[in-house]
Amino acid sequence: MAEIRIERVTKSFGDKAAVRDTSLTIADREFLVLLGPSGCGKTTLLRAIAGLGMADSGRITIGGRDVTYLPPGRRQISMVFQSYAIFPHMTVRDNIGFGLRMNKVDKSEISRRVNSAAELLHIEDLLDRRPSAMSGGQRQRVAVARALAMEAKVLLMDEPLSNLDALLRLEMRAELKRLLADVDATTVYVTHDQIEALSMGDRVAVMRDGEIQQCDVPHKVYEAPSNRFVGGFIGNPPMNFLDGMIRRNTDDVVVTVAHHEFSPAAQIAPLIRALNGDRITLGIRAENMETLTAPGPDTVPVSVEVVEPLGAQNLLTVEVGGHRLKVSTHPSLPVAAKDELHIRFPADQIRWIDPANDMVLYT
Amino acid sequence: MNSTASPTAASPTAASPGLASGAAANVNTAADTALVLPPLDSPEVAEMHQRMRRRAGRGRRLTYVVAALIAAWILVPIYFVFSMAFTTQETVRSYPKNFLPFIPFSTDTMRFFLESEGVLRGLWNSIVVALITLVLSTLISIPAGYAIARYLFRGRDLFRLSVLAVRAFPIVVLSIPLAVLFLRAGVFDSLYSLALMHTALALPTSILVVSSVFASVPYELEEAGQVFGATPFQSFRHIVVPLVIPGIAASGLFSFVLSWNEVFAAAVLTLDNRTLPALVLASLANSPDAFQFAGSFFLMIPSIVFMFFIRRYLFNMWGQVTK
Amino acid sequence: MKVRTWRRRLVPYLLIAPAIVYLAMFFAYPMYQGLVLAIYDDDAVLPVRSEPTLDASEVSKIPQGTALRILDRRSQAMIEDGEAALLTEQWFRVSGSAAVGTSVNGWVPEARIRVRESDAAGNPLTGTVRPKLGQSADPLTDVHAEPDESSSVVGRLEQRVSVSIAEVAVLEVWFLVQPAEDPDEIAGWAPSRYLQVFEDGERGRVHRGTAGEFTSAFIERMIDDRFFEPALRNTLLIMAMLIPLQLVLALAMALVIHARIRFSSGFLYVFALPIGMSDLAAGILFFSIFTGNGLLNSILDGLGLIDGPFAFLTAETTGWILFAIVLAELWRATSIVMVILVAGLQAIPDETLEAAELFGASYWQRVRHIMLPLLKPSIQVALILRTILALQVFAVVIALSGGDVVTVLAHESFRQYFELRNDNVASAYALFILLLSITSAVFYLRSVRSESEVRPT
Repeated sequence: MAEIRIERVTKSFGDKAAVRDTSLTIADREFLVLLGPSGCGKTTLLRAIAGLGMADSGRITIGGRDVTYLPPGRRQISMVFQSYAIFPHMTVRDNIGFGLRMNKVDKSEISRRVNSAAELLHIEDLLDRRPSAMSGGQRQRVAVARALAMEAKVLLMDEPLSNLDALLRLEMRAELKRLLADVDATTVYVTHDQIEALSMGDRVAVMRDGEIQQCDVPHKVYEAPSNRFVGGFIGNPPMNFLDGMIRRNTDDVVVTVAHHEFSPAAQIAPLIRALNGDRITLGIRAENMETLTAPGPDTVPVSVEVVEPLGAQNLLTVEVGGHRLKVSTHPSLPVAAKDELHIRFPADQIRWIDPANDMVLYT
Repeated sequence: MNSTASPTAASPTAASPGLASGAAANVNTAADTALVLPPLDSPEVAEMHQRMRRRAGRGRRLTYVVAALIAAWILVPIYFVFSMAFTTQETVRSYPKNFLPFIPFSTDTMRFFLESEGVLRGLWNSIVVALITLVLSTLISIPAGYAIARYLFRGRDLFRLSVLAVRAFPIVVLSIPLAVLFLRAGVFDSLYSLALMHTALALPTSILVVSSVFASVPYELEEAGQVFGATPFQSFRHIVVPLVIPGIAASGLFSFVLSWNEVFAAAVLTLDNRTLPALVLASLANSPDAFQFAGSFFLMIPSIVFMFFIRRYLFNMWGQVTK
Repeated sequence: MKVRTWRRRLVPYLLIAPAIVYLAMFFAYPMYQGLVLAIYDDDAVLPVRSEPTLDASEVSKIPQGTALRILDRRSQAMIEDGEAALLTEQWFRVSGSAAVGTSVNGWVPEARIRVRESDAAGNPLTGTVRPKLGQSADPLTDVHAEPDESSSVVGRLEQRVSVSIAEVAVLEVWFLVQPAEDPDEIAGWAPSRYLQVFEDGERGRVHRGTAGEFTSAFIERMIDDRFFEPALRNTLLIMAMLIPLQLVLALAMALVIHARIRFSSGFLYVFALPIGMSDLAAGILFFSIFTGNGLLNSILDGLGLIDGPFAFLTAETTGWILFAIVLAELWRATSIVMVILVAGLQAIPDETLEAAELFGASYWQRVRHIMLPLLKPSIQVALILRTILALQVFAVVIALSGGDVVTVLAHESFRQYFELRNDNVASAYALFILLLSITSAVFYLRSVRSESEVRPT
């Protein structure tokens, strides 16, 4: 039973607040990913949970136990570090068993747990080697085995894959996911890689400037971003944003973008009507637009500026009324730069953003 | 969700957290664990946090105590001798001494020292030798340090290792054969020959410091300069030099301090042209305490002043040793 | 193009050339010279020759100081100049009227002529033949064809005849000598300047040799020196007490600096202060504390622990002197060890220590299991450096004991050179110190390496 509850935690370095009045509850055995650009405070928050950088104020509890100012060694947690932090002067066996020895676990138990952790990560052959001669991938496995051998209720991971090359990262990502599915620990995983976040997490907490912007299951974070930042940060290419003007008619609301009128979906319309001012932002993902070669109902003519064939899809940069949009199309659609295309914006795929606070409108 | 938590019910479990997790282990819901926690803004949480923080800061406070004790161990003898150097000669001779020295403050001891025969000349000699050492060791160590930092050449490691080895050896005892050589060459008892020896003592350290200072300036900067049309020398002059000046100055100051304090070679290689340390050493047996204390003030003052500027570079000398 | 790359390759060598030349001149050459002084005696033996000339072949070598029997003497024209001759003879080339009325021109020893007139530079111009004393003496004086008694006689001169002196030849006396204690040894000729001839003219000794020889004499003199043993003992004793203390204190300093507390840079400054200070200054500092009316006595007196000043620094209290020396060195030389250790600690990544902390290691466990093992190379360097530099300490000994009561090796080297003017024995001491340095360096390198090899992997 290890629910992690973060309540109103603030942590500053000098004048700069790295984590600002943040609250978050991570359920027992949940795999939560902290995602955000560098400097967003995700690592600081993780370190506050670990006790490596104590919070200035607020409370952190693990399994109902207040650990806010407890030294890290007494929090009954385990961690994989970004640089792996393998002890270079110890054999792999001693590395994996280090935490157990420090906690005075008896010898036979240590060797049992070391062996099983090594087995899980397929490093039984390396147990008596020293880490100095090992590859990055092998060190990574040692670091994970060391963390798992603790059998702690909480497992923290600080960008564990960021030091691996691309191919190895892909492989390790899947393996970690498989491994952690069998582990009973509550896991907090920090990364700046959205694919890692979306593919691994039960929930993803997107952070920016020390605050959590959104915390939800991956597909919700992707499809229903809570605000403009999340939409722009997640997804490759990021969500397109178009500025529009609201026209409030007596019986409906119309938004004009580059001389084209959009009628919002019925359930969202009252929210748009209720906004202060006439300005609104539309957000739509590249893959959610329909591309037609001929004009149809509700289509907008655009001119193609760049075509980037990406294999499974073509990524187009198109221009419409002074806006640049990224549109992905199926490779079967013949298109070249300077072509004219017609694009339809499905009403249910448009996210409406209040420019006053950048929040996405939801009913 | 904290609304149902009652402070009185929560306090025993908060004090023994292990019990809380154990008791809640089978009741796997967040709401239940929330029950045992007092609200965040309750005074008992604040009090407990304060207690935990104080406990966490205990090691830090111990560190300050140790730091202060070590600093006292270093500073008290210096303070005591300096106070002896700036008081009356009667105070120097007095017993038992005041624990708050500098009382009475007087330049009497200092004046006595400075007016003693040979002292002013010794001071001047020390300055001359130390300055020559500074200039020579800097001039020689800049190209050598640059070569180590910038070029990969055959024998580079051998050269670096030899420099390290030379520094580690008690080369100062080689003053004796050197003195014999100087005598034969007729340059014995000369400030210049002493400065040459001091340069040899300072050179290994200078080379290592200077090379690490150069190494800290990325070569890409120099290359960038050359890409934008500067000659190698120009880009060295306008890009590297301004960046390395402080480090090279520190290495020069270190050579100065080293020469200023060197006793063995100074005592062996000079006779009439004594530097200050050699003079103080020679008069240890037959001079009053006041003379020694005032002398040691002059011996220590340059390193006290210069160490302030050097301290950042101290680790440059040793960072590369263990690799 | 090829020439350019060739030149480019030369650049680093040109840059390090001054340093290499300098270090060779002031490190390698003095080291070689010290070795020569310590084990090579320039004047060890005197070669003696088959004939009384330098061209003649050597028949044997007689060591410096050997007592001699002198079998014969002869004068020879000097070949080298510059060497002060002990025994010389002058011969004059004279011309004068012989008894039969003919003119004679030839060489006569100086002893046979009384000089009457000399020129401004002191060269003799005229003289008279001295009368010979003794009844049995032939009243006539032989005139030789060469300035050599064995050359042919060209004429003879009467007593008191006036002669003009045309030329002066300075001759050196050569002796046919044989070691006095070894009459079977072949006798040989040697010039007088290397010999000491006793008054009877029959005995003498070799004053100094002309040929060098490797000798252990200086090293033996060093070892037999009555200060050698105490100096060595004290040096080793001081090292044995000092180095463990120093490691502990330096580690404490380094951990304080590494803890990154506030004012860390200020503490670093204070901790590093003694780096630039000499052992002389440190010696005087601790003299001021331990001397009769010094700080320590004042404090003890103030606390009522003693009635009057206790004399710490006397011949009867060598234990206290050693203690004061160790403290002075601990004060002065620990800083450099700290710098090495801090540099070593800085090389340990933060995450490594955080990992240890997170996995439950207490501070001391982190020091014991992570920092110390990872500091091993730094500690090794520090140990070597400290041991070696501890060997060159000497002024602190003079400051605290006057140099007689307690002495160390470097001080003996200094004393041999400075007070006893014995370059060779002083160099022997210097070399002994270098030898100890190398030995301890090898010892440390070995012991640290073997330890890591022995550990089960």
